[in-house]
Amino acid sequence: MQILTTDPVKEPSRILYRRCVLDLQSGEQTFNDVPCSNLEDVLGGFGRSFQQLAKRPLGEAYCDENPLIINTGLLTGSTAMTGMRTYFSAYSPLKQSLKGLPAAIWSAGSGKFGAKFKWTGLDELILENRSDKPVYLVIRPTEQGPQIDVKPAEHLCGLTTHEKIMELQQHYEDAHFAAIGPAGENWQQVLMGSIALSTENQLRSGEDKQRFAGRGGMGSMMGYKNVLALVAQAPDQKKPLSEAVKKVNTNVVKGGGAARLQPIKRGGGGGTWAAYDVLQPFHAVPVNNFRPQGNDLPERMLRENVDKDYDLESSACWRCGITCHNYVYEKKPDGSRGEFLSKFDYEPLNLLSTNIGIHDPGQGARLIQACDLMGMDAISLGVTLSYLLAWNERHPDKPLFDGVGFGDYEKIRELILATGKGSCPDIGSGSMRLSQKTGETDYAYHVKGLEIAAYQPETNPGYIWAIAGGHMTMGTYGMLIREGKTDFDSWVDAITRDKLQIVGFDMIGLCKFFDITKGIGTQMVVDCLKSDFNLEVTEEDLRAAVHRAFILGLIMEKQQGYTEAEYALPAEVAKIPNPHIKIPDISNLAYIEQLSQRVWAVFKPEMETVAKELGLK
Amino acid sequence: MTLTVKLYGVFRIGRFKEKQLEFADGVCIDEVVEHLQLNRQLLGIILINDKHANITSTLADGDTLALLPILEGG
Repeated sequence: MQILTTDPVKEPSRILYRRCVLDLQSGEQTFNDVPCSNLEDVLGGFGRSFQQLAKRPLGEAYCDENPLIINTGLLTGSTAMTGMRTYFSAYSPLKQSLKGLPAAIWSAGSGKFGAKFKWTGLDELILENRSDKPVYLVIRPTEQGPQIDVKPAEHLCGLTTHEKIMELQQHYEDAHFAAIGPAGENWQQVLMGSIALSTENQLRSGEDKQRFAGRGGMGSMMGYKNVLALVAQAPDQKKPLSEAVKKVNTNVVKGGGAARLQPIKRGGGGGTWAAYDVLQPFHAVPVNNFRPQGNDLPERMLRENVDKDYDLESSACWRCGITCHNYVYEKKPDGSRGEFLSKFDYEPLNLLSTNIGIHDPGQGARLIQACDLMGMDAISLGVTLSYLLAWNERHPDKPLFDGVGFGDYEKIRELILATGKGSCPDIGSGSMRLSQKTGETDYAYHVKGLEIAAYQPETNPGYIWAIAGGHMTMGTYGMLIREGKTDFDSWVDAITRDKLQIVGFDMIGLCKFFDITKGIGTQMVVDCLKSDFNLEVTEEDLRAAVHRAFILGLIMEKQQGYTEAEYALPAEVAKIPNPHIKIPDISNLAYIEQLSQRVWAVFKPEMETVAKELGLK
Repeated sequence: MTLTVKLYGVFRIGRFKEKQLEFADGVCIDEVVEHLQLNRQLLGIILINDKHANITSTLADGDTLALLPILEGG
């Protein structure tokens, strides 16, 4: 990036990002230094990519006109803690309106690929059209600027995400990788393909410890374009840590938000897995397709129970002080560490175990591993599987997939592998399409075509207005459980002002654990931008930019045919209230209707204003 | 007065899941947290008789107090 001003709000055009547009059909590469249009452009991530996609509305995702935009945020690769994120944006093959138009989406991932990408000198890579043959791309810095080599990738076809990364690692030193799995290669049958991003842990240990940009089928888009992997090869840039950023990083690591993620042996909460402990007293842990039963079944996956039979290790991403991962290993009879199984994060853990009737930690770990190696989004896969199992439970006379049921580990594992290899398009196409095919849509747990996260919708009407991943683009998922608030003022405020701020992290390059409750409109971020780039912004500037970017997301949903009727929770929630969940009822139709009226009364004028500012209809 | 105290998640480590404890009349939650030496950075949800409360709330004889860690997602 070239930064020729200290004022990115008044003079965004004096900040230029280095972009390459690669036409995969012709091989032509065009490099430009593109002036930013506004602060959202400067920050990067989806703040920039959505402005581009908004000008290119499409009728279908799998078409040459759908660009795959790969970029980073301003703080990716910086000295700011958690500054590691890479973003992939396109029109989604998975999330679509009932009119059949694809929604624009982005997906974010950690690991070290993002930093390496930034250090090649490139800020953004746009893949246009598609390659006739499987290829991988090598991005590296040269004296003339970043360069991209397009390499044949037939030898990578069919390899798992981890195998592709391990293969490429042998040939590229000082590099990190982004790779799709068999699922992405089978893009026609699998709309939920993810992109694996390599980590230092993975490359050093040889174990499948990659991170994922999972949501919305961006791995399937990469597969459609016949790009099987990306290599970002650049030496590490070891910038001195300023006192200001050092102070910020200390706050991030030791602050309240990160405390719950730190290892238990260091007095922390032990990671996102702890959500089980908090949700279970309310009987709000999803069980058997989001129908908690008011019993202690979920408790088999509590850490205190898993710890007895498995070896657990807390870990962090490279250069991050937040040990948010929990790796699960077999425990040998002598108590020593055995085989690595997988990483336990709350979402994949719940949706590929408790919510599909699996209550054995080892089995859950193996299912997560199968999903990761095939390269699919754990949330979309898990929720689609749970729909299928719920159908079979209701229809023993008309079973699908040999009548696989909740808890049927062997069959479920086979199905995951088969889905990843393209043999089960009914699963690979997601819960919305599967439920439309069966004719029973009430218990398909998606909102606007994208599967929801592992928080009961009864606890989170905010899902309705999330513009991408349900819990990471609207931070209301814990609000009812945490604060017990049911009044409309609190919810309208949260949805239309405070909790949408979570999407700011997906602009600037930081992980949400940097400061998940407050977003990026904070003095900490102001200080990082001043220290690293000599940029003068205020907290209000940042919040305003995030707000506009979010509103653009809503505008684009409308542009792609979403009607207000589609802004709804899964119908079963209101039609068959679950008596076991111990929370006040804020998901009945009357409540949702009144909440919706008030929320749209705020959003609609803002959508008109932002659309006008950006020259959109 | 007697309270039933329920602890969840990491708060149970080295302590208990559920216990009846004696406190002075009118004790507030802050004092109970102090007595149990819970990590306040991790304290997320406070329930008195299954209703949300805050750290300054006072307790009555026979109350059930639940103390849960932070829920932030991921």
